[in-house]
Amino acid sequence: MSRRPPRGEYIETDTGNKVARKATLVGTQNIMLGGKTVIQPDVMIRGDLARTIPPAQSASGGPANNTAVAIGRYCFLSRGCCLRPPGRMYKGVFTFMPLRLGDHVFVGPGTVVQAAQIGNHVHIGGKVVIGEFAIIKDYVKVLDGSVVPPNMVIPSFSIVAGQPARIIGEIPEGGIEAFELRDLYKTVGNNPQPTAP
Amino acid sequence: MSSATPSPVPSSAHGHHKRHSILPAVSQSGPKPPVQFSSSCTIADSALLTGPHTIIVSTESVIHPRARLESLGGRVTVGRRCIVHERACLGAADLQGRYHKGSPDKEGRSMGAVTLGDYVTVEVGAQVESGGTVIGEGTTVGIGTRVGAGAVVGKHCTLTANSTVAAGEVIPDYTVIYSNGLRRIDRRGVSDLKNKAQARQIDVLRRMIPSNPGKFQ
Repeated sequence: MSRRPPRGEYIETDTGNKVARKATLVGTQNIMLGGKTVIQPDVMIRGDLARTIPPAQSASGGPANNTAVAIGRYCFLSRGCCLRPPGRMYKGVFTFMPLRLGDHVFVGPGTVVQAAQIGNHVHIGGKVVIGEFAIIKDYVKVLDGSVVPPNMVIPSFSIVAGQPARIIGEIPEGGIEAFELRDLYKTVGNNPQPTAP
Repeated sequence: MSSATPSPVPSSAHGHHKRHSILPAVSQSGPKPPVQFSSSCTIADSALLTGPHTIIVSTESVIHPRARLESLGGRVTVGRRCIVHERACLGAADLQGRYHKGSPDKEGRSMGAVTLGDYVTVEVGAQVESGGTVIGEGTTVGIGTRVGAGAVVGKHCTLTANSTVAAGEVIPDYTVIYSNGLRRIDRRGVSDLKNKAQARQIDVLRRMIPSNPGKFQ
């Protein structure tokens, strides 16, 4: 009789996504994971809050691709964070818009993200609140405990902190490598590789 | 709180039709409360209702998945057309872990643990402590906000994210609490528009969130 391997804490998909068993993903049909993304336990992703009006006259394709949350590659969602699509009144109807995360996005523990769009290589600290329809461009660092108000646009290469969040600095020239999350991805999972010395 | 075995391993990100939600089962921790649900309210299946006292949810209110309604300190009343987002807790313990019971009001009736007026929105992770806490009509309790025990928040207030209302504090109507405890008065006069927008939002949410009130009755 073959021995079944012990149940790990993470489910690893064939595209390299590591999803914790204790994460709460509601409406997974509308959640797109880019690949090599880590979702830690107690994360909550609301994929059921999808857009209600179809984006165009859908003559093409039966089941419309109704993505509520799209996450890029090498993203890292820490414990207890919550991703939910933003919603507002649009043409007289309340509707949810898709939440798009780019690649190499780190979301800290306990953070709530309701943005419309987050670019690539963004580091979001812990206990941050990102208000509805905020747009965060590439290479941004959001410090712990910030509250990004709704509809704020954070330009690339900025460092943002405070309540309400203000731009307090710029990413220095040599600071770009710190955003890469490939090494962090390898340290998590059922067979974690030790960090490189 | 133990989690039972979740649904089967999901297929890859571009897998097609047969993907389930990954919802680790929540076991009922604590007594099952007596409830009074309106027939038109929407209670998600994985909402958490505990406590010995009654929980009342009125007409057309929406309780998102993983919202917690705890009646350990007294009865929890949710008004009409309220929205309680996930991980919000009505009737929470204070920071020391105590559940306050409200002191009785002038006629000697006991105040419930938490009372929400109509059109209230309690956002993700907000903690409304028990102990006679009243949230007035049309108020928005922002993400991660903590409302202290026995506080009385006025009508059409806006408590922005991560703000705190001290225990027993009385907040006048139309107040906005923002930044690090700053206050101002909202003079926009948009209360009616906000109520209408909330009604529209509830129409949409009622279709999106599968309701299962029978589970709690």
